[in-house]
Amino acid sequence: MRYRLGVDIGGTFTDIALLGADGSLHTKKVLSTPQDYSLAIESGVVALLAEAAVVPDAVKEFVHGSTVAANAIIERRGVKVALVTTLGFQDVLELGRFRSPRLYDLSFRKPPPLVERRLRFEITERILADGTVQEPVSFSDLASVADAIAREGVASIAVCFINAHVNAAHERAAVEFLANRLPRVVVCSSSEFMPQIQEYERTSTTVVNAYVRPVVERYLTALGERMRRIGIRPPIMVMQSSGGIVPSDLASTHPALIIDSGPAAGVVGAQRLGAYFAWGDLLVLDMGGTTAKATIIEDGAFAISNETELGGHASMGQRLMQGDGYVVQVPTIDIAEVGAGGGSLAVADQAGGLRVGPRSAGASPGPVCYARGGTTPTVTDANLILGYLNPSALVDGELTLDSRTASESISRLATSIGMSPIEMAYGIHAIADSTMIQALKAVTSERGRDPAQYTLVAIGGNGPVHAAGLADALRIDRIVVPPVAGVFSALGMLFADVEHQAVAAFHRRLEDATLEELCTAHQPLLNHARELLEEEGYTLQEQQDFRLFVDARYVGQTATLKIPIPLPVNGVRAATIAERFHEAHLATFGYRSGEPIQLTAIKLQARGVAAHPRVPSAIATSRSPRSDRGTRAAYFGSEHGWLDVPVTRRPGIAQDPAPGPLIIEEYETTIVVPPGWTVRRDAWTNLVIERPQPTLGERP
Amino acid sequence: MKCNPVTREILKNALIAIANNMLVAVIRTSRSTVVKNNFDLSAAVCDADGQLVAQGLALPPHLGAVMPALRGCLDYFGDRIGACDILCSNDPYSGGSHLNDLFMFLPIDLEGRRLAYLCLILHHTDMGGRVPGGNATDSTEIYQEGLRIPPSKIVEAGVANECLFRIFEANVRMSDRVLADIRSQIAALNAGGVEFLKLAETYPAEELRAYMADLIEYTERLSRSVIGALPKGVAEFTDWNDDDGTGHGPVRIHTRVEIRGDEILVDFTGTSPQTSGALNPNYWFTVSNVYAALRTLMPPDMPNNAGFYRPIRVSVPEGSFLNPRFPAPVGARGQPSFRVRSVVLGALAQILPDRIPACTGGSEFAIVLAGQTRRQERFLHLEFHNVTGHGGGPNEDGQDGGPYCLANLANVPVEVIEAENPVQVVRYAFIPDTGGPGRYRGALGIVREYRLLEVDAMIQVRSDRQRFPPWGLFGGKSGAAGTTAMNPGTANEQKLPSKFIRTMQMGDVFRVEMPGAGGFGDPLARLPEAVAEDVRQGKMSIAHAHAEYGVVIDPAGLSVLFDETARTRAARSPRSEQSSFSRKPLDGVRP
Repeated sequence: MRYRLGVDIGGTFTDIALLGADGSLHTKKVLSTPQDYSLAIESGVVALLAEAAVVPDAVKEFVHGSTVAANAIIERRGVKVALVTTLGFQDVLELGRFRSPRLYDLSFRKPPPLVERRLRFEITERILADGTVQEPVSFSDLASVADAIAREGVASIAVCFINAHVNAAHERAAVEFLANRLPRVVVCSSSEFMPQIQEYERTSTTVVNAYVRPVVERYLTALGERMRRIGIRPPIMVMQSSGGIVPSDLASTHPALIIDSGPAAGVVGAQRLGAYFAWGDLLVLDMGGTTAKATIIEDGAFAISNETELGGHASMGQRLMQGDGYVVQVPTIDIAEVGAGGGSLAVADQAGGLRVGPRSAGASPGPVCYARGGTTPTVTDANLILGYLNPSALVDGELTLDSRTASESISRLATSIGMSPIEMAYGIHAIADSTMIQALKAVTSERGRDPAQYTLVAIGGNGPVHAAGLADALRIDRIVVPPVAGVFSALGMLFADVEHQAVAAFHRRLEDATLEELCTAHQPLLNHARELLEEEGYTLQEQQDFRLFVDARYVGQTATLKIPIPLPVNGVRAATIAERFHEAHLATFGYRSGEPIQLTAIKLQARGVAAHPRVPSAIATSRSPRSDRGTRAAYFGSEHGWLDVPVTRRPGIAQDPAPGPLIIEEYETTIVVPPGWTVRRDAWTNLVIERPQPTLGERP
Repeated sequence: MKCNPVTREILKNALIAIANNMLVAVIRTSRSTVVKNNFDLSAAVCDADGQLVAQGLALPPHLGAVMPALRGCLDYFGDRIGACDILCSNDPYSGGSHLNDLFMFLPIDLEGRRLAYLCLILHHTDMGGRVPGGNATDSTEIYQEGLRIPPSKIVEAGVANECLFRIFEANVRMSDRVLADIRSQIAALNAGGVEFLKLAETYPAEELRAYMADLIEYTERLSRSVIGALPKGVAEFTDWNDDDGTGHGPVRIHTRVEIRGDEILVDFTGTSPQTSGALNPNYWFTVSNVYAALRTLMPPDMPNNAGFYRPIRVSVPEGSFLNPRFPAPVGARGQPSFRVRSVVLGALAQILPDRIPACTGGSEFAIVLAGQTRRQERFLHLEFHNVTGHGGGPNEDGQDGGPYCLANLANVPVEVIEAENPVQVVRYAFIPDTGGPGRYRGALGIVREYRLLEVDAMIQVRSDRQRFPPWGLFGGKSGAAGTTAMNPGTANEQKLPSKFIRTMQMGDVFRVEMPGAGGFGDPLARLPEAVAEDVRQGKMSIAHAHAEYGVVIDPAGLSVLFDETARTRAARSPRSEQSSFSRKPLDGVRP
């Protein structure tokens, strides 16, 4: 039987999922090995294959989500990089955008540039905004820059010129020259990426890529060797921030594409499941130890943003308050993130105020109940006191908990502001919910959507503990907790398709744009994407899926909307594009206008259509033996108080809805079904938690 | 009713989220660069009495702006306000700020009673008047500055006030853009209203009322306890504006700050009288900027609301530069508002020397380039580049290019300027040797050069700090002063003042050098290795290292010559540890 292997590495844990063609599913959670992440993967995979009694040769596909690129930047473990810029713009990288993410904080410092000033070189050349050459490339400047770079022992060069997103000729000439002169140095340019307007963001992206490329290359090579050694032969496919997968050689040269790899995998998994089961529009909540992330999936698609900021702190005002991370301008699944996780700390101030997060106990010391030295109560401690978590152990007994000290820490906090301990525990849980609601609203009501219309998909170690409370607050009627929800990213990435994204500048008014221009602009993107797909074995026409979009906005606006253009483009009419744009603007921003429309870029998405279905028709998990675990007391607010709640495992849930309260314990997470909700298990072992609709005549 | 801290925190999050939702909605749809890149907007929730309860993330100088403008509207309309009205005003003499800031308020009623007001302030690209963009510094009466909208209803009983829209359309430049922004401001308020009513489905109106009051009281308690724990003391500080915008000056800005018990008293007695130019901040704007400076002392996650104002007393003599009488123009008051914030911080530095850095760099530079393209389309490029980087100290260098924590402001991308205007940006870079010398160096100054392509155009510049550069503290020196020039380095080179309006011809290059930030502590106490590192990075010349820091650098290896350095430093008398806080203008002309 064919097997697929998904591996998701995070800073603390490496999650592995093994999926058989018949839907048999095995998972494993092992500690990550940050000195060489491929080490934990090797030992984890060997152990999992042994547990599942599967021979390595049966693994026909290997998909990988990885924080290696992101960590190399956050921990400043990249290589020595030189930057080559247009004369007059040496400091673009260090000047940045002057955005202050923390108002009123006199001590705030933005992260230092990844290339120091003396390694930022200027050359004479200039292209204007319309693409015309004002000043040709000075090769004598380039020659002296090459000499200086050679003396410095630089490992990697980034080239970014002003207006290269419109005309890449000068960057190409410079790359060719430098690569010839310095054959052992890696050279990247901004235009070989997904060149978009805004020099700082493009420069930052190119520099980030140059900075981590050798690190990622080394890592993926090592991983490939380890996998071959243990007999796993399929090519390594890597998850991109955009939700598609690419072969590891492309990820090696373009590591900026895989920065948000892990979170993307969970969203893609939810999206594919949602489409398979026709759940309608989804709101995906992924709550882990430090942060919670929210994404919407509408009409089967998630939103893609043009950039992400790496190493910044998760903050609710992320879209308002950038500036404390490294900008990477590549298509990234649009995820709102807030500082609410199991480790979020609860603290009181001198005026009787209570805060939960964004400060987190992290992996060390962790929550008080982990008994690793933590003394400040966290959300996990509160969930324990409320009876939601198993009072003695998590992860099937692998992590024992100390309820007594957790309880004491919460009592202390409660006494300091005059509340009872149980009110305090419930309050911490509820405040964490109110923070997560901000993320859920950021992707819905902020964009003119009503969250009540969505199905909530709860994943991550803590998502299923909080899902029902969040759904109550947002009037959501249905929650789905997929199998292995706590390590869902490792499974979700197995459903992703091979995907390539390409962007070209197309800065003109819609009324001025001609069909010829559109043809000329998109053809190279199409040809290149087709070549890539063919190299990867998607040779037949029905295996190649292309989608074309334009980014459009009203003249003068900032945010663009992505408007689909039918392929082939021959029959496209400007009026149709305009109408689609006006409608999308009305849906998103609440009004349409008669103003001229500005196009800024064209985007191509190319997908390789797999020969085998990505989502199996059934799932059978190896863990979770059917064993009811009796009952325990859990607290559901002043309305319900303490209730005796049956505790069971996923197989203990039937296909017919059972009323809450119920607690379902799993290896990687705990699912809380409060009173007033029902839960059932479908054929795919998804838990579907619903609020029964009042029947006619019955008062809600 | 008894309020508990859990519900209060949850409602605080919910109210701030409603304000932030409105901000995001406007930013995403706005056409105006000032909104998109400078975040010159604010959103807030007030209670039925007009007391500020929660403010979204946004412009710090708007920290105290909402209540007086809402008060102006409530005083005028009294009980003639319905739930489907939207009030608006931009009148600096009815609680507003300057004409470009259009305030709008949406009343929220529940069960027939007023529950709250949602507020949204947006800086609009143009409000008419004699100069595009409304930032002229040389107006002499507010009548020259554009449309003054006294408290009005822009929406009445759910119907847009067509008359008001037509007046805007006929009087403002780029009226398409301005009207679109007004519409997006209204749309965002209505979206906020929907969210607020959803909140009211969960919490009964009486509970919401009680918690809004409780949130204000809690914030007052927290503010007082933080102030009460600060060292007590009194300090004075003076800074200067080069001129008043009409060529007269300099303008003296003086403050006395006292931390007394759990209150802070700020008094601007000793400030110059109001001037004939348009730089006068009005009383409310002055107070807002005092709040912004003092907010740096408070915990970052404290809510911004009326409770924070209560322990702060600000007195500003009427008829002074910071509290002018009608009909003084106020259009360009954003520039001296930097002085208001920095004199308060300068005074605090003497009471809290371990908390406050030297003066932020920058000349509060703003530029308008306006004209018609070859295709006969109007263009108007408005850009603010107020600051350059952090002041030095108290424990580290001022970061080069460090963002200013009292404005959430972005620079405008060079490529965006070039794509949308017949303008080329020729240079955008740090200027070596411009950081204020000190034990902890101030951030470097920045140069920006603009070339006009294809047509002639109007150029208007508003800046300052050509005579009084950003100050140092405790022996640290000032950053380099600002300059402006047309066609520098050519036969046509022409030095320009900090504020001017003129024609710029096709092919002309305009250059602005924005000042570096102030240094902190004696430059002779700076680690020689830190000086050498600046030299290696091209941020400092060998000559500057010698002249200002007494550090001798070997030109060959760019390393420190320690013996020569020790001799050079020993030969110089150490600077006094105490800064006199008295300032001389660079041109020697005494004020």
